[in-house]
Amino acid sequence: MNTIQIAVTIGGLVLSLFIVWFFWLAPKGQTRASTDHGGIQEVAITVKGGYTPDIIVVKAGYPLRMRFTRQESSTCSEMVLFPELNQSAKLPEGQEVSIEFTPEKPGEYGFQCQMGMLRGKLIVE
Amino acid sequence: MVKDPICGMEINPEEAFASREHMGQTFYFCSENCVTTFDNNPHQFAHQQEKTVGSASTGYNPNSQLLQIELPVLNLSKEGQSGRTIIQSALKKAAGIEKVIANPVEGMVVIDYDPKIIQVLDIVHLIKNTGYQVGGAQKRIGIENIRCSSCVGFIENELMSTPGVLHASVNLATQEATIDYLPEQTNQAQINKAIENWGYKTHAATTEEPVDKQQLAHEKEYKRLMRRFWFAAFISIPVLITAYPKFLPIIRDWSAETLRLAWLGTAVLTLPVLIWSGSDFFTGAWSAIKHRAANMNTLITLGTGAAWLYSTFAILFPQVFPEGTSEPFFDVVAVVIALVVLGQALELRAKGRTSEAIKKLMGLQAKTARVIRNDVEIDIPVEEVLVGDIVQVRPGEKVPVDGVILEGSSAVDESMLTGESLPVSKKVGDDVIGATLNKTGAFKFRTTKVGKDTALAQIVKMVQDAQNSKAPIARLADTISGFFVPVVMILAILTFVIWFDFGPQPQLVYALVTAVSVLIIACPCALGLATPMSLMVGIGKGAENGILIRSGEALQTAQAIKTVVLDKTGTITKGKPELTDIVVAKQQKDMTEDELLKLAASVETISEHPLAEAIVVGAKEKGLTLLKPEAFEAIPGHGVVATIDNRNIALGNLKMMNRQNIALGDLQTQSETLASNGKTPMFIAVDGNAAGIIAVADTVKEDSKEAISALHKMGIEVVMITGDNRRTAEAIARQVGVDRVLAEVLPEDKAHNIHLLQAEGKKVAMVGDGINDAPALAQADVGLAIGTGTDVAIEASDITLIKGSLKGVVTAIEVSRATMRNIRQNLLGAFIYNSLGVPIAMGLLFPFFGLLLSPMLAGAAMAFSSVTVVTNANRLRGFRPKLSAK
Repeated sequence: MNTIQIAVTIGGLVLSLFIVWFFWLAPKGQTRASTDHGGIQEVAITVKGGYTPDIIVVKAGYPLRMRFTRQESSTCSEMVLFPELNQSAKLPEGQEVSIEFTPEKPGEYGFQCQMGMLRGKLIVE
Repeated sequence: MVKDPICGMEINPEEAFASREHMGQTFYFCSENCVTTFDNNPHQFAHQQEKTVGSASTGYNPNSQLLQIELPVLNLSKEGQSGRTIIQSALKKAAGIEKVIANPVEGMVVIDYDPKIIQVLDIVHLIKNTGYQVGGAQKRIGIENIRCSSCVGFIENELMSTPGVLHASVNLATQEATIDYLPEQTNQAQINKAIENWGYKTHAATTEEPVDKQQLAHEKEYKRLMRRFWFAAFISIPVLITAYPKFLPIIRDWSAETLRLAWLGTAVLTLPVLIWSGSDFFTGAWSAIKHRAANMNTLITLGTGAAWLYSTFAILFPQVFPEGTSEPFFDVVAVVIALVVLGQALELRAKGRTSEAIKKLMGLQAKTARVIRNDVEIDIPVEEVLVGDIVQVRPGEKVPVDGVILEGSSAVDESMLTGESLPVSKKVGDDVIGATLNKTGAFKFRTTKVGKDTALAQIVKMVQDAQNSKAPIARLADTISGFFVPVVMILAILTFVIWFDFGPQPQLVYALVTAVSVLIIACPCALGLATPMSLMVGIGKGAENGILIRSGEALQTAQAIKTVVLDKTGTITKGKPELTDIVVAKQQKDMTEDELLKLAASVETISEHPLAEAIVVGAKEKGLTLLKPEAFEAIPGHGVVATIDNRNIALGNLKMMNRQNIALGDLQTQSETLASNGKTPMFIAVDGNAAGIIAVADTVKEDSKEAISALHKMGIEVVMITGDNRRTAEAIARQVGVDRVLAEVLPEDKAHNIHLLQAEGKKVAMVGDGINDAPALAQADVGLAIGTGTDVAIEASDITLIKGSLKGVVTAIEVSRATMRNIRQNLLGAFIYNSLGVPIAMGLLFPFFGLLLSPMLAGAAMAFSSVTVVTNANRLRGFRPKLSAK
């Protein structure tokens, strides 16, 4: 093994570790839903190649309104599903669509597009 | 201007139709109608007028005119919520609101407000803040050639300031405005005008129906993808020609220098392929990375990006690379992008067909309704129909929404929703369901449910929700796809390192080609698509056959059912007694069956017993004219006596005959035979002599037997559960051929009995009517409720059979089995594809067979693997139930 090969090997290992850290280990930013005076929690989510924000923290027992706006035409993201909460909505391009429900039980609920390419998480506290 | 006190119209006093003086006030009227109404009770209206004059202490302008508005509020009547008080107290706090009446029954809030102080929009906003939604109509209007985003704001503001408009948003992408409005305050023409004021032309929205809208969006997206594909494909030709100079006659003779220049050319040519045709991958990958996520876009981006960068670098600085490694792979870039984009386009095409079932359902909806408002018939779009409207329906027309008949009668074909093939006769007071077809007569009905609340809308919503739910089988695929892409990236790095360290010369080229192949061949989409696509088709197919499957979980459980428990009454049987046998006593020489029935039915016309009704209905069906009984007397626990045509008739059970001292002769044995067949015999005596027996029974539905034998053929045990006595239960059981009878089960013990069957280790399905059987339906692994078209929202059930037949149970299990088979094929295919494809791309076969996968082949494989999944799901569209429920 020559020096370049050793360098490439070490480089590959470092890159692999970085991938593991980047996708799985690094803490992700969380967004807390804003609450208006009527007690409704609200959060606006942009759908474009992903959900922005994608990790949303809400309080249990208060009504939640999630306003999705899809800003792309790729059909992957044309629906958003909350499989555990039995909620889903079609997201026509450019049009704001609200999903409204009251999260009752604390826990983590994933939301995703139909084939699971885009993912987000709703953390109910 | 003054206000007409009756209709509230603003009129010019000089042009008023009439005027009246009352209690020192002058009133002006717009029409004869209003003035007559006023004359009938002038004081009532004068009083109202007085009320509008506010007192000085509250600070209101004494001249202010209050307006009244009725706002429909959704879910106001929901149980356990004090919406009424919440809304009332929230609104009363606001300035300018005089009076609030919330009516949860009608879902209406009536508000008297001062338009100078508060606007309708503010009121709507206040209601929204309490967590309730104001109902109303929604309309999409197409706007031609709207390009600038600043105009969007202008039009939105203009629309919002139009009275009656609750919310308006303009979508630049679709060139459409979506408007929520109160149909009693404004109409489409006014809304159109508001838009046209800004110099834009309006047209009917091309995307009026949700499914059509999606289809349209798909069509647009397909064209967009195809344009990108053709561009990439076109560029691929010169790129491919120069990529393999050794095999092509003229290019073979080019000098190394010419070739290098040609390669530089292809580097430039492939750049727009990356930037334009492949832009989705790059932007998608970037968005994903920002979210610390990775998906298919990431893999394609890395693969093609690495290939392009390496190639460009290699031809620009050939000296950096060892001999023989400075050849470019622009062909990989162009061809892979072309193929993957083509794959996406084809997938889209195939996907479009998966939602056909929903489209069929939605197509049932009527487009317009003929509503009578202020004594005028107007045709309005069905979206504008309000609860409480009076709708006129003529023969041959569709019933637009759900309601109750007020006037007229007709036969209505409800087969599209209930499966009942014969038209159902409807008279005043009967319910009509939207989307059913009026056959013979004309009628007027008052609407009770519109928009999202109609039976059809609920069915559609339920099916859509179910289509988008998850089957538990998908969980594994979901978990895997969460880890999939980063793992593939690590595998690609590993591949590169291994080939670079241990591979043959030129190592750099081999390492790069194999790493790129790994990135490109891995197809997370196939995994992700496997379940949802099949569920979409399968649940849609169920809906087409009158089976509403509530979730993917219910569908998955239904395939494993080993025991089906059927409730007897209303499920196997019709649920109400019918006349079955007439036996004339031998000694009654000149009495016919019809005469006997006529006597019995005449006596029973007065009786209120359900068995009596069966006899009367039976007689009427035979066209017998019934007589009026005299001296009617009911003897509880025995029967009835009466006089008809001066003949003394006694009708009742054995006790009754003994009480009257009537010799029964062989009638008694005959009655025992009938009873052992599950029928209820009743003796008739005329003038003290036994005349015969009339038997009634809850009869078996025509197709119950066929359905049960079909279940047997599927290897399913069929159990009957009933509260009836064992003898009746077993008689029915013999007729239809069930395996096991659980008789004399109290309603509250049904769930417990299901539990006992489950304890035998079998998956148990319970079929019942959804109301009495709710606990048992919930206890069963799968609860199937037999309903009719209107009560689709049977909460306790996992599956609702809207056609009353038991054949639906067979079809439900068939659909479930077919769909689950399809899902397993898809998942298996996707797993095998990825777990074979990735190692082959890594070069696992190279040491043994010298085989290496070209990245282009990897691209083709990747593009078509997801198309294959969708196509396989589409095969389910060919599903036909073996037993067709009528």
